[in-house]
Amino acid sequence: MYKIIRTIHLLLASFSLPFLIMYGVSAVQMSHSTWFQMKPAVTEHELSLASGETDARIVAREIMNQLPDTKGELSNVQSAGTGLSLRIVVPGTVHEVRYDRTSGVVRVKTSVGGKMGMLNRLHHWAGFWHEPTSMKAWAIAVAIVSLGLLLVGATGIYMWFTRRPERRIGIVLLAANVAFAVTLLTLLRSAGP
Amino acid sequence: MRNLVLKLHIYAGLLTFSQLMLYGIAGLVATAQTAAERPKVPHAVRYVPFTVQPGTTDRQVADDIYNTLHLPLTRPMPGWFLRRTPENDLLLDFYNINGIWRVVVLEREGRLRIEEIRNRLGLFLGDMHAVTIGDDEAPRLVRVWAVYNEFAMWCLLAFCVSGVYLWLTAQARSWWAWASLATGTASFVLMWMSFR
Repeated sequence: MYKIIRTIHLLLASFSLPFLIMYGVSAVQMSHSTWFQMKPAVTEHELSLASGETDARIVAREIMNQLPDTKGELSNVQSAGTGLSLRIVVPGTVHEVRYDRTSGVVRVKTSVGGKMGMLNRLHHWAGFWHEPTSMKAWAIAVAIVSLGLLLVGATGIYMWFTRRPERRIGIVLLAANVAFAVTLLTLLRSAGP
Repeated sequence: MRNLVLKLHIYAGLLTFSQLMLYGIAGLVATAQTAAERPKVPHAVRYVPFTVQPGTTDRQVADDIYNTLHLPLTRPMPGWFLRRTPENDLLLDFYNINGIWRVVVLEREGRLRIEEIRNRLGLFLGDMHAVTIGDDEAPRLVRVWAVYNEFAMWCLLAFCVSGVYLWLTAQARSWWAWASLATGTASFVLMWMSFR
């Protein structure tokens, strides 16, 4: 039984390793933002589309046709006055688009995050509601790694408990951690609303 | 050396067990989300008498309400967050880790409408996993959690290193572990490249 549990712990941890490193490093970046240079590289493009368009999805598709690097998920669509503004987003890259309905002129401002910016965005990216297939694949990976983390913890507990030398101190540490966490979470949750 | 690393790996794991479980739960909650926006449906509404002092600014009114209501775990309203309802009543959203107290200042009626918007337990746990020590103005209880979260974060990185060390020094012969690592790494790299 111990060997099976240990194998599960090893397999899940080894699969999850690059993702856990990503989550850990990006967590350090978010906790200590001044330690890292996060300024994105910004470029701008201007192109011409047909005037009079009111559908942001058509505008987005036309932009992606003319600028093949401008790929991603359409979001933040806003209609204002004589134009449309929208965003085309993939983790780490944001294309901010302003379309002038009168003239058909489109201005695309592209912000590309560096490696730390990319890690930051990947940390926040989850859920199957995103449209592109690559993002759905990422959602599957996040689900596997999240479930894997729970099982790594559970198998770790089992393996620890079978080790007599570490059992006594381990019980104290685990009890302290659980008591602290449950107490604090309960206090915070009960504060309302 | 290996024995020492193993002990540290075990003890650190036990000392941060709750946080690691929280990280896993947060990931599953995020996976189950159906939209970027959080639901903002109030579960309770109440009214409290309140008189706005004549000639005061919106910021002063917000501060007065904050000091009067003493909503737990909230902080004073920043100026840039003051808004108005479609009826032009002052709208104040007091956030805390559990949700929002949405206060509408009904000046002409001499009262406040207070809507309580409570995040589901999953969202609460997800927010708890994201608490960092970078927020100096957070309430004290939240900052206490943030300190432990910081410790757990560094432990997670240490587990990655110590776990690999323990595996390699255990004469890592199992091909399936190498295959698992290769699969995880290849998946990560391929998705990174597809996003770039």
